[in-house]
Amino acid sequence: MTSKKVILTGSFGVGKTSLFNQFIYARFSDRYLTTIGVKVNKKVVKVGDREISLLLWDIAGEVTQDKVPTSYFLGASGIVYVFDLTRPLTYKNIETDINYLKDLLPGGIIKIVGNKKDLVSEEQIEAVKNSLSVPVNITTSAKTGENVSDLFQELGTDLIG
Amino acid sequence: MTRINKPLDDDLLMRKLKNVLLKEDREQLMQLKEVLDDPNQLSEKVNPLIEQRLDFLKKNFPKEYRLVVNQIVEERLRGFQDEVLNIMYPVLGKMIRKYITHQFQLMKDRIDTTVRSTFSIEALKRKLKSVFLGVNESDLVMSQIDGPVIEEIYVIQRNSGLLLGSASLNNTIDQDVIAGMLTAIKSFVEDAFQRESEDLERIQYGSYKIFIQNYHSYYIAVVMSGSLSAKESDALSTRLSNFTDKELTQISNIDNEAIQHISSKLNEYFVQPQRNN
Ligand SMILES: Nc1nc2c(ncn2[C@@H]2O[C@H](COP(=O)(O)OP(=O)(O)OP(=O)(O)O)[C@@H](O)[C@H]2O)c(=O)[nH]1
Ligand SMILES: [Mg+2]
Repeated sequence: MTSKKVILTGSFGVGKTSLFNQFIYARFSDRYLTTIGVKVNKKVVKVGDREISLLLWDIAGEVTQDKVPTSYFLGASGIVYVFDLTRPLTYKNIETDINYLKDLLPGGIIKIVGNKKDLVSEEQIEAVKNSLSVPVNITTSAKTGENVSDLFQELGTDLIG
Repeated sequence: MTRINKPLDDDLLMRKLKNVLLKEDREQLMQLKEVLDDPNQLSEKVNPLIEQRLDFLKKNFPKEYRLVVNQIVEERLRGFQDEVLNIMYPVLGKMIRKYITHQFQLMKDRIDTTVRSTFSIEALKRKLKSVFLGVNESDLVMSQIDGPVIEEIYVIQRNSGLLLGSASLNNTIDQDVIAGMLTAIKSFVEDAFQRESEDLERIQYGSYKIFIQNYHSYYIAVVMSGSLSAKESDALSTRLSNFTDKELTQISNIDNEAIQHISSKLNEYFVQPQRNN
């Protein structure tokens, strides 16, 4: 089975750890326990009749991406960049961040994810999306689980393709 | 009547007058300046005042503010109990580990002296064994008590942390995850100390030791329980080099087949021999 390294990154408190807890264990907690350093987890995703093993590196949130140790990104095939739909501070630097990540991982797959959609209305989501200069790939809720497995499923498909 | 032959210079007159009238003031001013300029003199004057103020605060702060402060601290601690524990836990763990390592060292030293002072059949046997194996005697005693056991061995791609092969004595943990975490810890430490040319070579976790041997595009991590003497770690290092020379140089592209091959070789070289003991 092929293994791929995927980085979960974004500002602190946006729900990176929650997303992957929802994805891997189908559970959610309201408590906020900030990630220290990195936590690596694995999940096997089925794409058609093939299987791919995702090694998800959940890294501690930083306000801007240039604060994240670059060595964490080495050898990664994909990046999931998460922001919080309810906190403008978490998408204020999104364009700079994404350009920075593209330079860091040329040819890598980058997914831009707006999380905590359970807390905002569809109109608000549209407004946020329209205000951003980068395309949002998917909006999710780690709480209700909405779109969470879709996110990783899409990622798996892109990584195999 | 006297006649002043020079017209009076207003300015000069003024200065003279000032000199006379303000002499005292100026002297005081000079004194003050001296005090201000000289730190010793200044502190002599100011310290008592500060002390007085501090004294006042010391006496009154607890009375006035203790309750409030206590309450805040208590509330914070209660609210953040988990966080505090999370911070304390590794520190405590580290202290306990240090203590155990220290006790181990003491034990090793004690054994060293026992070996030197006793001359029994056992000791003679050990002596012979140590002559043949080239291991020092106290290491042998140690290995009888608590010999190093290879629990897990991994070949890990250097950058990505992806597993290139592994073998394990008990097969209980997810090796992909461990390989990733090890790589994360490694790059964290190497980043933090900004040592590009130096690699992390040893991680100790409780009674487990992780021995790391670095190569250009991959590294090998050996997880061991039991204690490992300097001789044994040298020997392990040599075994690892032999292994990489024989088994890893001809592998060019990493696919499932290669991973399987590396894993079975790791098992053959490092894990299987332990089972036969
Ligand atoms: N309502 C709601 N809350 C969420 C969602 N995702 C995360 N949260 C909450 O947001 C807080 C932060 O979530 P984490 O998953 O720890 O965030 P993180 O991005 O991992 O944070 P760092 O590790 O500090 O970088 C927690 O209290 C979660 O319960 C969501 O989709 N909806
Ligand atoms: Mg987190």
